[in-house]
Amino acid sequence: MSLLHFQVLSAALFSVGLYGVLARRNAVLILFSIELMLNAVNVNLVAFGAFLDPGRIMGQVLAIFVIIVAAAEVGLALAIILRVYRNRGTVNVDEIDLMKW
Amino acid sequence: MQALPNYALLWPELLVTALALLVLALDFLVPKLRKRALGYLSAAGLAAVLALSLAFLWGRQESLYEGLFLVDNFSLFFKALFLIVGTFVILMSVDYVDQHLEHPGEFYGIILFSVVGMMVMAATGELLTAYIALELLSFSLYVLVAIARDNPKSNEAGLKYVLLGAFSTALLLYGISLLYGVLGVTRFEDISSKLQAMDSINPTLLVGLTLIIAGLGFKVAAVPFHMWAPDIYEGAPTPVTAYLSVASKAAAFALVLRFFAVALAPAVDQWAFLLVVLAAVTMTVGNLVAIAQRNIKRLIAYSSIAHVGYLLMGVAALSALGSNGLLFHLVGYAVTTNLAAFVVIIAFFNRTGKEEISDFAGLADRAPFLAMALSAALFSLAGLPFFAGFTTKFYLFTAVAREGYLWLVGIAMVNSLISLYYYLMVIRQMYIEPASDASRLRVPALLSGLLAVLVLLIILIGIYPSPLLRAIEAATRAIIPA
Repeated sequence: MSLLHFQVLSAALFSVGLYGVLARRNAVLILFSIELMLNAVNVNLVAFGAFLDPGRIMGQVLAIFVIIVAAAEVGLALAIILRVYRNRGTVNVDEIDLMKW
Repeated sequence: MQALPNYALLWPELLVTALALLVLALDFLVPKLRKRALGYLSAAGLAAVLALSLAFLWGRQESLYEGLFLVDNFSLFFKALFLIVGTFVILMSVDYVDQHLEHPGEFYGIILFSVVGMMVMAATGELLTAYIALELLSFSLYVLVAIARDNPKSNEAGLKYVLLGAFSTALLLYGISLLYGVLGVTRFEDISSKLQAMDSINPTLLVGLTLIIAGLGFKVAAVPFHMWAPDIYEGAPTPVTAYLSVASKAAAFALVLRFFAVALAPAVDQWAFLLVVLAAVTMTVGNLVAIAQRNIKRLIAYSSIAHVGYLLMGVAALSALGSNGLLFHLVGYAVTTNLAAFVVIIAFFNRTGKEEISDFAGLADRAPFLAMALSAALFSLAGLPFFAGFTTKFYLFTAVAREGYLWLVGIAMVNSLISLYYYLMVIRQMYIEPASDASRLRVPALLSGLLAVLVLLIILIGIYPSPLLRAIEAATRAIIPA
């Protein structure tokens, strides 16, 4: 396994997530896609840390912080999505269109 | 064993955090407390922290935790700005919160937490710390935007904000991970020295930089990453919009300026062009789309996008003068003009519940002081002489022109003219159109007082800017040694 393998894995995960954000219409699935992108970041960070900087743990520390903050982000986003669902009865982002330019 | 960090340098942040916890606890433990008292307590606390930080920290140049957290004039200047904005926003929202929101304690507490996030953002000297601070600010803002729980517009704004905000953070983080992968460091000064040592720019690094610019571009709402701003400005409770348009932008620019000036200065040829294009497109799109707006909050949203374009010129023209111009225009735009405009919008909304531009018809007869203050704010945003906006724009444009971007300044001038048109449309409504409902609007003393202070500041900065400029020059020297 070389660093390149991890970079390709990470780039693929990131692209899948990016596609999901752009193509999905359900707010919860968009959120999941964003999580995929954040996990691509974590793969990158841990791999770079292990291959390029083995003496230090900078990459792992960064990844841990990203994981923690992402967990908080999901909680917050789900709470807001729940609120929208209670008030509007839908989480389809195409139907949530009170405001448009 | 390392020596313990000097906690005395951290106490502005610690005090504001303590204040936030105190406000939340009081709200929870003393249910009989009048909720307005929490607002006054928060505002007084912020003002006290402001006075103490200015008295004890001005002129210090120190770093904590091996350079993760920097205490210098640059961070202190921004901390003072955030504390002032926080105080004003809390004071102007007291009436609004009383009338329209169910959870005042949480509203004030979360605003205070977001102030902490911004203060750390201005002081950070490392990417991970910057990310954590940015997220503290963003999370607070997500909650604030959606805080009117049963208002569908506020819900919708919150949903859009949290999804797009998380998406932009993912872009930013991927960029940071690539930067870390190529350079192996995250501290701004280390990034700078590693970049200097490289003879050619690695393509991975370029992709990383582009992603970081895209992520930060989302946060400041630069075109083409601006689509969230108008919807969120319109849907959020009005005091939150005021806060968003001023504070979050100033905080993002504090981070952007330090990051580009300290960390990325050696690679300036690689990114300056990108920022120049971004600036030109941002100001043009912002101003052109603003013309078509019917809602006053959306109008301000697009006008703020246009101002982000002007401010980005200051980053692109990376120099001491450009940075001075950016800070100066940021203060002029943010503190005086936008806050003043929003005090009027809030006062008007509290009385009438309306926020379309056509609702402002005849305001000059119904509330002459409000109409006069909003006109002063809009003239200043457009950049007419004797108002703050003219002096700050003049300084910024001169600085950018001196760095060789004369054509960019030309675009900015044309844009200023376009902006005058839609600002005048609002003023026409207030002074020329007849009112559909001619009843007088009573403005509470608190809002009138705030407004008087802000209008005085607009004029003061317009005609006597030198004390402010001296402070700004001292702040710039901390990141760009002359």
